Amino acid sequence: MADIIIRNLTKKYGSETALNNVSLEIKSGEFMVLLGPSGCGKTTLLRCLAGLETPDQGEIIIGDKVVFSSADNIMSPPGERSLGMVFQSYALWPHMTVRDNIKFGLDVLNTPKNVSNDTLDSVLKSLGMKEFENRYPSELSGGQQQRVALARLLATKPPVFLMDEPLSNLDARLRMDMRVELKKFQSESEATTVYVTHDQTEAMTMSTRVVVMKNGEIQQVASPGNLYRHPSNTFVADFIGMPRINLINLTKKHKDGSVFINKDVQIDVGWVPASNEIVLGAHPEDLVVSKKEIPSSEKYSVTAVLPNGPETIIQLTRGKTAVIARVAHDSSFNVDESVYVNFSVSSLNIYDSKNGVIIEPSNN
Amino acid sequence: MNLNTQKRWLDLNLRRLLLNPVNIALTILLIVLAYLVLWPFFQLVFETLTWGEGDRRFSRDAVPGEFTWFHWLQATASPISEKMLYSPLINTLITGVIATILALSAGGFLAWCVVRSNMPGKGWLQPVLTLPYIIPSFAIALAWETVFRSPKVGGQPGLYESILGVAPPEWLSYGTVPISITLAIHYFPFAYLLVAGALATIDSQMEESALISGAGKLTILRKITFPVVAPAFVAAFILTFGKTIGQFALPFLLGAPVQFHTVATMVYANLALGLDSLAFVLAVILIVISLISIWLSNRFIKKKSSRFETIGGKGFRSREVNLGQWRWPVFSVVALFAFVVGILPLILLAIQSIMLIDGFYGLENLTWHFWTGKSNPDIAFGEPGVFHNNNIIGATWNTLKLASLSAVIASIIGLIIAYIVVRKSDNLLANALDQIAFIPFLFPTIAFGAMYLTLFAEPVGPIPALYGTFTLLVLISVVSRLPYSVKTGVTAVTQIGKELEEAAEVAGASWGMRFRRIVMPLASSGLTSGMMVSFVGVMRELSLIILLITPSTRVLMTAGFGYAEEGLTQLSNALVLIVAVLTIIGELILWWIGKGRMTRLREKL
Repeated sequence: MADIIIRNLTKKYGSETALNNVSLEIKSGEFMVLLGPSGCGKTTLLRCLAGLETPDQGEIIIGDKVVFSSADNIMSPPGERSLGMVFQSYALWPHMTVRDNIKFGLDVLNTPKNVSNDTLDSVLKSLGMKEFENRYPSELSGGQQQRVALARLLATKPPVFLMDEPLSNLDARLRMDMRVELKKFQSESEATTVYVTHDQTEAMTMSTRVVVMKNGEIQQVASPGNLYRHPSNTFVADFIGMPRINLINLTKKHKDGSVFINKDVQIDVGWVPASNEIVLGAHPEDLVVSKKEIPSSEKYSVTAVLPNGPETIIQLTRGKTAVIARVAHDSSFNVDESVYVNFSVSSLNIYDSKNGVIIEPSNN
Repeated sequence: MNLNTQKRWLDLNLRRLLLNPVNIALTILLIVLAYLVLWPFFQLVFETLTWGEGDRRFSRDAVPGEFTWFHWLQATASPISEKMLYSPLINTLITGVIATILALSAGGFLAWCVVRSNMPGKGWLQPVLTLPYIIPSFAIALAWETVFRSPKVGGQPGLYESILGVAPPEWLSYGTVPISITLAIHYFPFAYLLVAGALATIDSQMEESALISGAGKLTILRKITFPVVAPAFVAAFILTFGKTIGQFALPFLLGAPVQFHTVATMVYANLALGLDSLAFVLAVILIVISLISIWLSNRFIKKKSSRFETIGGKGFRSREVNLGQWRWPVFSVVALFAFVVGILPLILLAIQSIMLIDGFYGLENLTWHFWTGKSNPDIAFGEPGVFHNNNIIGATWNTLKLASLSAVIASIIGLIIAYIVVRKSDNLLANALDQIAFIPFLFPTIAFGAMYLTLFAEPVGPIPALYGTFTLLVLISVVSRLPYSVKTGVTAVTQIGKELEEAAEVAGASWGMRFRRIVMPLASSGLTSGMMVSFVGVMRELSLIILLITPSTRVLMTAGFGYAEEGLTQLSNALVLIVAVLTIIGELILWWIGKGRMTRLREKL
């Protein structure tokens, strides 16, 4: 219902730069997740959007309204940005009942009583919270509190939702259920949603696009699938994926050749990257592990076997190079066993070891 | 961005800063508090360093308003210094140290019994043990006098002489011994609370591991428990000492009849003699001692917190020490002690207030005259009983008015200051506000009264001479309560998550609406109990306002003090008893509020 455009946003706290020249366009109705380690600036960016922080430089446009512009001296207060927000702690007012909590936003807008009552009833019903309307937040379970926080958004139906790690206070099982519920909630409401999290599973499962941030700068903006397959630099590659991607430092063996080596291993990447010093990115599932010898493979020894339900993670070493591989749960590898490993060339990503930037998308 | 837009950007930011209601409140409060807290101190010091009008009596060189060291020299190096400064100073230090040692020993022992042992009856002993600190110190002094009054200094014999037939030795009636003991009785609950707090932070696992290593109970107490609480003990010592030296009414009542003075009583005595500047010098000295002791205690507390960080979130539990066969003997001692210091003084005051001729113990001597009687020229110079005495009724009315007004104003201003301090914790001015609001805590109350006496004696600019007005009493009571009400407020505001307010802000609520609908309701329970604490605190206050009281603004405490000075013991006993009962009722309400909140919380969990 509203596009969000962020241009050259900079925010400093003293000498700390929280946001460094960040630009981003979010399309109407999109579920955009801001992902990154703590201190990467994702929450600051969200709070700048909300108007709870004042950026130093740049411009923010929500819908067709410029809500912040350092050039034109515009700084709209949060209440005039037509957005709703779910906080990490939910920020439910403990002295108000569930109904009053949801009603507050309508009161601020001076909604007539009968309209407000109808809205409240339908919102409470749609989230299955009708029977709890006279309870206080402290009398609700974590999931119910979460629903009240969402209900506050539904009552005023703003075109933009901002969510700051809303699932981080729930236990693992409930988090799973709420992910599904939240995704459904968002697609039904059609609101443009900006969602902050440090949990990559949350980011991957819920978003239409993910923004990966580090040190106040955007590293990559991509759909979850693309982000996983083609991380645009070694930071993103290392950050996304569980277990972690294998990053191996290699040197070109012959000029204009496609074979790369280090002291222990030799890998043919199948094409000729421009750089001589590279970092090879191979997801654990991109390693083919076999007990029998297979073409263009090398011999590794198994140093750890970690069964994990539907899959088994094994650690392999050759000399000082250690890699992680993901194999089927029914495969039977033992520690100290020797195995043959081959890298599926088509799925590899190659980064310049000087700056960690991807050299060319691998051709799959 | 060119220069022009940069300027516009600055203008905009500046305008937003200036129009922010929080910033406006911050600026106003800073200016007002600087005038009410910092300026009086400078004014006081200034008075001691200039000639006053009255000084023409002492020196021909006196030029009012000119600089002089005269008063400081007079206090420290003149024939009267011994009487004016040195002997009161020594008396202050000696009574303070003895009282503190007694208070800390009693408080420490009781704290250990209540917090760490399995002594029976803790539940009801604890409130009784805090009684002496709740009632006015003056009440304890009066009760002491009732028992140990010596006819040598005039008046009727006390209970001691009536029972034993011999007069008590003078050292037991007046001077160092009774002052130290009554101060200790008044302040041991304070020490008790400080030590109990420290003891409650000891993780029993420390002691248990010593137990497993084979150490005996006494060894554990000596080698583990005591060293860990020692820094808190030292801090409690200094804080208690700092409190005793500011006491005025108690040492005055038990010292003045034999010309025994402390610095605090000397301030009062000098003002009564018209030696204002000398009194102010003594007030400054009192403040300096107080500042040094608080600075020292802060150093110890800091050291403690870095070295003995024992409060862990996990695995923390406190085990009770089994007293075994000593359970009941210990209980009896504690209960007897609690009765003697907590309840007996009030009973004595009550009995004393219904005796026709004090010191004469017998049923035929009992009368309700001092409570319900009308004026009778044969009794007490014709002063009517409490219920017919316009003086006392007026004082009661004044007391309630002063206490409730000050409590409400102090709590609301305290909450606003706390809000600013918590929400703008990175702002230098907000920090300055926090510091200034705490400063009244550092001033001994009688010295603070002296400051306001100098500041408001004459009109300054638009501010009228407030001396003798009720407004001045409210003003000083509010400012003296601020350190406490800001502290309560900070606790209350800190508990209100910032996100709760931001959620309302995102919904579009203005600052006023947020403060009214989110902050105030959530802080209300803390605010109410803070108000009650201030109410009780102001009601029993004497030394703070004794210098500022005029006949038309008298309150119960000062009226009671006045009667005691005139020798009308029954009436002064009756008044102090009224204050004591009112404060106890206040504390009960407070306890009830606290309990109510606890149960409500428990129901919700």
